[in-house]
Amino acid sequence: MYTQPLNKVTLALEQWINAVVTSKYNPLYYHGALPQFFLWVLFLSGLLLFAYYVPTIDNAYSAEKLINAYTTVEYITHIPFGATIRGIHRYAGDAMVIAILLHMLRVWFTDRYRQYRIVQWLSGIVLLLLVLFIGQTGYYLVWDERSLALTRMTAKSFDVLPIIGEPLKWWFLNGQEITNYTLSNFLFIHIGLSFSLLFGLWIHYVRMQRPVLTPPPVIQFMLFALLSILLLWYPVTSGSMATLTQQPTAFEVDWFFLWPYWLMTQMNLQAYWLTIVTGVIVLCMLPYFVHTKEVEAAEVVTKKCTGCSLCSRDCPYAAIEMVPAPAGSRFKLLATVKSYRCSGCGVCVGACAFDAIDLPNLLDTDLTAKITASAKG
Amino acid sequence: MSDESTTKIITLVCERSLDLRAHVNNLGQLKDLPDVEIVKFPCSGMIQPLMVEAALKSGASGVIVCGCQLGDCYYREGNRMIRERLLGQRPPGLRKTVDRRRVVALWLSRPQAARFISEAKEFIELVSQLDKPGTDVNQSTKPSIDNH
Repeated sequence: MYTQPLNKVTLALEQWINAVVTSKYNPLYYHGALPQFFLWVLFLSGLLLFAYYVPTIDNAYSAEKLINAYTTVEYITHIPFGATIRGIHRYAGDAMVIAILLHMLRVWFTDRYRQYRIVQWLSGIVLLLLVLFIGQTGYYLVWDERSLALTRMTAKSFDVLPIIGEPLKWWFLNGQEITNYTLSNFLFIHIGLSFSLLFGLWIHYVRMQRPVLTPPPVIQFMLFALLSILLLWYPVTSGSMATLTQQPTAFEVDWFFLWPYWLMTQMNLQAYWLTIVTGVIVLCMLPYFVHTKEVEAAEVVTKKCTGCSLCSRDCPYAAIEMVPAPAGSRFKLLATVKSYRCSGCGVCVGACAFDAIDLPNLLDTDLTAKITASAKG
Repeated sequence: MSDESTTKIITLVCERSLDLRAHVNNLGQLKDLPDVEIVKFPCSGMIQPLMVEAALKSGASGVIVCGCQLGDCYYREGNRMIRERLLGQRPPGLRKTVDRRRVVALWLSRPQAARFISEAKEFIELVSQLDKPGTDVNQSTKPSIDNH
């Protein structure tokens, strides 16, 4: 298996962290829960920011009483704890991307992304793209010079797409050009798509019986402390207000969210879209590049199953469903295996005290016989 | 071979946790400790408490159960399941009559074979103490399952 050296590296790293903090508090054992933790942080801090934000680009009034996206963001930054909330929202976003990448690399390195995990892998790619896009819309909302440049770059990049390009641009700007409606659309995309993440996460989690959704409190506190240190050292600021008549040329790049814009400046737009689409397709195809033998799903011995549902409860992949037992059975329920979800791990075999479920290629009776034979010999 | 003094140890091990290939002979015994027999499972979660009982009943002096580091199971929860089953926190559990001192569980990752061997040696010593005639076998101690 080509991932083996990478697996070794991962294990060695985790071994080292275990030695320091014990396996219970190893953040790498909560790699899936970390993005989820940051998502809640983002939801809460975003809710507070939403209370003050006005999504308009007006700047035709006198400068003193100007109320638009930019000035409301500035206002938030200057009220008590406003800058803190804004900083948390910004850095938790970056941290979420780091956590997702960590999660992705770990499942890839340890070979936990294929076969019966394919739904998790594919939904994870969709979620990653959504998170990146949501994060970018967050940068548009501030409405400083960078926001304007990013908005124009995005609109321009849609121009080169055949057929869908024009409607996409119209949808993105909420009209032909940048107006107040554009910014209300950005706010809708930013918040609306964030909620659609929850739907995506449901699909991401649905094939797991007990997904790990929260890291232990200690890790949460540590991450929160880390965010606080970051925002104290590097407070979040805006550039100068966007003016539609000007074209900003240079801006700071947040490498976690804005790298596609850097990519845009390095090649022509056709090549840019080709790179992005190819990248996504390669990610989606990754599980199919490796060929290993197919999983042999567990099989229920119908005659022996008592319908106690222990296997169904213990199956890590929610692959065993309890159905009403056929007529004439002494029992009420019967376990059935959804073979497309089964990993062939045998946890159900360990859960069954009635010898009623088997891995076809490794019978537990054979294993018990081997154990007794070697115990006697 | 089967004289009274042999201390037969059965090791039920997850094939993804310990890499014992370098330490095992053709018969599935440890090279350094030929009394330790290795039986591999795809995941430690597949181990039935009944198997532990079967091993002890057929004359094994002790059983080592070995899974991956807690928190890191390739199949998500296998090691947690067998741990809770052995501790009696999840059905099916070990029968009450099983001498808990003869069962040990280790949670070790792939590169920790050396650690496994030293733990196994210690366990053999402990179990051979129990096997000595005159020892009060019924004296109960706490299960040593959390020893990782």
